[in-house]
Amino acid sequence: MIRVCHLYPDLLNLYGDRGNIIAFQQRCKWRDLPVQVDSINLGEKVDFQKFDFVFLGGGSDREQALVSADLIKHRDEMAAAIEDGLVVLAICGGYQLLGSYFLSRNGETIPGLGILDFYTKAGEKRLVGNVAVEVDLNGKPFKVVGFENHSGLTFLGDNRPLGKVLAGNGNNGRDGLEGVRYKNVFGTYLHGPLLPKNTRLTDHLIGLCLERHGIKKELKPLDDSFENRACEVMLRRMGLAGR
Amino acid sequence: MNLRLSLAILAGKLAAMASRTYGNKGSSLPGMVARRIYPGTLQDLAAQVGRGILVVSGTNGKTTTTNMIATVLREAGYKLSSNMEGANLITGVTTSFIRDAGIRGKISCDYAVLEVDEASLPRVLKEVKPGVLILTNFSRDQLDRYEELDRITGIIREALVQQKQMTLILNADDPLVAQFQRSTSFPTVFYGMDPNEQTPRTSFQTREGKLCPFCGNILTYEFFHNSQPGRYHCPGCGFSRPDPQVEAFDPVIEGGRARCRLVFNGQEAELAVPVQGLYNLYNAMAAFTTGLQLGLDAQGMLDSLNRYRPVAGRMEVLNYKGKPVYLNLVKNPAGFNEGLATLQADRGSKDVFIALNDNVADGRDVSWLWDVDFEMLGKDHRLYNRFICSGLRGEEMAVRLKYAGIPVEKVTIDDNITQAIKNTLSGGAGAAYLFSSYTALWTVQKAIKSITVEGGAAR
Repeated sequence: MIRVCHLYPDLLNLYGDRGNIIAFQQRCKWRDLPVQVDSINLGEKVDFQKFDFVFLGGGSDREQALVSADLIKHRDEMAAAIEDGLVVLAICGGYQLLGSYFLSRNGETIPGLGILDFYTKAGEKRLVGNVAVEVDLNGKPFKVVGFENHSGLTFLGDNRPLGKVLAGNGNNGRDGLEGVRYKNVFGTYLHGPLLPKNTRLTDHLIGLCLERHGIKKELKPLDDSFENRACEVMLRRMGLAGR
Repeated sequence: MNLRLSLAILAGKLAAMASRTYGNKGSSLPGMVARRIYPGTLQDLAAQVGRGILVVSGTNGKTTTTNMIATVLREAGYKLSSNMEGANLITGVTTSFIRDAGIRGKISCDYAVLEVDEASLPRVLKEVKPGVLILTNFSRDQLDRYEELDRITGIIREALVQQKQMTLILNADDPLVAQFQRSTSFPTVFYGMDPNEQTPRTSFQTREGKLCPFCGNILTYEFFHNSQPGRYHCPGCGFSRPDPQVEAFDPVIEGGRARCRLVFNGQEAELAVPVQGLYNLYNAMAAFTTGLQLGLDAQGMLDSLNRYRPVAGRMEVLNYKGKPVYLNLVKNPAGFNEGLATLQADRGSKDVFIALNDNVADGRDVSWLWDVDFEMLGKDHRLYNRFICSGLRGEEMAVRLKYAGIPVEKVTIDDNITQAIKNTLSGGAGAAYLFSSYTALWTVQKAIKSITVEGGAAR
């Protein structure tokens, strides 16, 4: 049984984020892999050790402040589970939250969970638009597409990015990097949502969850023609050749 | 006579003619041209409105509410100026005044009924002083353009407190709307639906108004109407759903009509509108409450609303070889959910067409599709013959339907809108439902008009 934890679905759901959960769940079901999703809301207890996959979406500033105050109480358990191979996908505001701090426009430092030592600072203008990123998971690079809408600029320091920006802005619009990767943690600004049409990434996450159960085998292939077409339309529009 | 105003109006009218010659609706260009020649165009013309200006804003239901208000006022014998076509930015509002003005800069009407885009409201309120402001509801809409909802309601609040005087007509059931009574202290009339009423509703995670607009505590809800928040209460500061002066009970949606029992001023009457959808009862209540505020006869208004004809693309009914064809514009999750609830209430077999574009006016970010509860169709997919997806992002739509649990063999992608509509209409089901995002609507309407006969009857 793959156990999924959807963190704060009531508060962090700004850009169709629940689509990521829907996609993860459906692609397990279509392969007859048992999967269970638990929603954890503000003030509720969460035992990260019993989950395989944790999803953290993005919210507006007010909602994110509430979430941050709550999640910080579980910070150590979450960090320990990550060291043990917990699979995490954090998007936009959730991604920023994994870092050390957020430097606001008036110079205020808002602490993050500090699970990873990158930081984010408020930018002058919002970075909004379609994005394509080249992601290399196991020496087999492929293109991931999505939409970004953020004003925070993230700087990774020595952390490993999720991928290289092919079109759009990514972490900060300057260094050509997008997202972050650490063990089984994936942070990114890409919504769209990310998982439904970027099926290779989704299947990679499912594979990592299975590995946690000691199962290491190729996933049953699915017919991804709609998903591939949806990606190709955007890649063509961004002037990038086929996948 | 103000020469610059005359010149601006003349140039605006010429621009409208030229624009129509090229097949456009000409609903914002004239305003743009006139404002460039004389920036005071809107202000000068609006100041001449006889009895007062009524402004309708909010996320969904603006166009229908504006048209319903215009209908009751016109049938009560008043002369109006209105941007009924839904061009609701400041240029569109200016255009509608130019259309009704003489080139000497004079305009003669009793009321102006203006639909105003919620993000444009602060700008419009600098030039136009409405006596009545009607707010329908607030929910997320095109986040790439409007940004977060908190920001929109924030700028509206700032704009309202700078106004000297007005009456607010507010939806009591939406805390993001109801908050404006307390934050402005303007005289307010509320309308709403009996929160004890169990109506069919969708459940999805993206309902808005989770936090108290005043103190930020999490609001508690007794239950939800169909994507309308119901009775709410803030455990932090006590903000709660106000008791509405105009309230609907026992809503019924059947046979292409929506009706309810309406209680107001100690009276009771039946409110019925010849359009589908619970949300249309909200729109009708907003119009009725506005009319009451202006002193119109209640029974006369109910009669007018009973004869109301829907605006193009707002669950408009057309006819194809005796089969009803419904056309609905979809722009955001709340609106699309209402459309799907109507689709699902029809228990016959259906062919469905969805055109999704991602131009600026549609929202470049299509991730909002995942906030729409297509899962309710997936559970019910036997009632659906076929889904044909079209538009610039038809592929994305197909992915959404697939993940909602609709069998892929029922889903096709066809980027030729006209051909896709032909295939939908000639499908084997008893009815066809067409959904279109904003910029695809024009093409969709042209395609349908060429193959259907207008004015069909609903089942």
